[in-house]
Amino acid sequence: MTETLEPVATVQTLPVSISVNGQEWSGEVPVEEVLLDFLRLRLGLTGSKRSCNSEVCGACTVLVDGRPVSACNYLAFEAGGRAVTTVEGLAVDGRLDPIQEAFVDQVAAQCGFCTSGQLMATRALLDENPTPTYDQMAEWLSGNICRCGTYPAIARAIAQVTRATTAEHESIHEEA
Amino acid sequence: MLKPFRLLRPGTVAEAGEELERHDDAAAIYAGGAELLLLMRQGLLQPEYLIDIKHIPELHGIRRENGGISIGAAVTHWDLERDGEIRKHYPLLAEAESHVGNIRVRNQGTLGGNLCFADPHADPATPLLVLDAEVELGSTRGSRVMPLDDFLLGMYETALEPGEILARVRVEPLPPGWGVAYQRIERFFRPTLNAAVAARSGGNVVNEVRMAVGCVGPRAVRLPDLEGRIRGLTVEDAVEAIRGARELLEEVLMPVDDLLGSAAYKLDITVVALERALRTSMMGGMGD
Repeated sequence: MTETLEPVATVQTLPVSISVNGQEWSGEVPVEEVLLDFLRLRLGLTGSKRSCNSEVCGACTVLVDGRPVSACNYLAFEAGGRAVTTVEGLAVDGRLDPIQEAFVDQVAAQCGFCTSGQLMATRALLDENPTPTYDQMAEWLSGNICRCGTYPAIARAIAQVTRATTAEHESIHEEA
Repeated sequence: MLKPFRLLRPGTVAEAGEELERHDDAAAIYAGGAELLLLMRQGLLQPEYLIDIKHIPELHGIRRENGGISIGAAVTHWDLERDGEIRKHYPLLAEAESHVGNIRVRNQGTLGGNLCFADPHADPATPLLVLDAEVELGSTRGSRVMPLDDFLLGMYETALEPGEILARVRVEPLPPGWGVAYQRIERFFRPTLNAAVAARSGGNVVNEVRMAVGCVGPRAVRLPDLEGRIRGLTVEDAVEAIRGARELLEEVLMPVDDLLGSAAYKLDITVVALERALRTSMMGGMGD
């Protein structure tokens, strides 16, 4: 005789409106649902990866109101009324973010599993500090692990973006 | 996947206390969730209720108060490490805060959560002991204030009584002329060991000194006996005194073997970290 397995019933849902990559999503989410499952399973945004599942590796890094979170350990309802940006939201009108272009130019990925997290963490860094020193960059990204060891290429990619930013600043100053 | 739970959202400290009294061990306080959600996923904790305290205004904000500063328990590490007042007048705390976990943990985790979780391998408690921090606890019975030193009892253990939550952390600035230093040895994510020192130098002499060490044993520890031994000594004599204080350190730190290092290793490194931190603080310490 076979027993029928019932799915675990949630005990509570909350109504939320979340802006995901500029688009509004409104609906009910179970209080225990983490943002990573919300993005991957509910919205099909599979760019954010689950790896360590414990806030350590950074593969699931997304931005909530511009700040980095581990989507694996962040309850989805907390994003209610906030703006979530995932790697799918970095490109604008089909044009890659300068960080993405630099990662391509510098081949800053091997297997690529950590890359979306690296890109999002880098985006948050450059939004706060457009011209980080090497030490600031290394400290900021110390929470994004790459087991292929592409760190030097990632550093070169970030340097490529910051050099462009610096050149832009200098040209503005020259004109002034 | 997390097991389903019910979310409660009190609006005041007293209401949070009431929920805690009502549900007792079936409830857990939820602020940032940086530590709590991990334990729930691992099945180490399975609370039926999460008491979300983020919507209690009293637990937020960094306020100047009676010459010192009062930090809401729900203030994140991210906000603390960037706060202008803290960076300027409490650089020891700002420095330690900037090393908690990683950028995402700092964005999500709160000072109150960190102190209440009382993981021996944590950053904030050690400098806060040097700064003589006090904690304000609240419940339906009102509030009480105690030194952080009395709040930290042991591994994952605090002086919080049933129905009580941590509301605010109060710190007073060091008098002018003190230098500070934070030494941290890290092998993976959490500190293997940390030491915080504040000192006022008179030329080459240690006129005043405060020292604390974390991660070696069950809790972060202030070192009044060692402070007494080196007060009034030259830096070189003070360093010799620290090197000769292994027995005292072993007695007060109660070193334990853990995944981040053996008791003997941590004791060896304690001496090195204290020496380095004392030298740095005597040279004026970390700048603003």
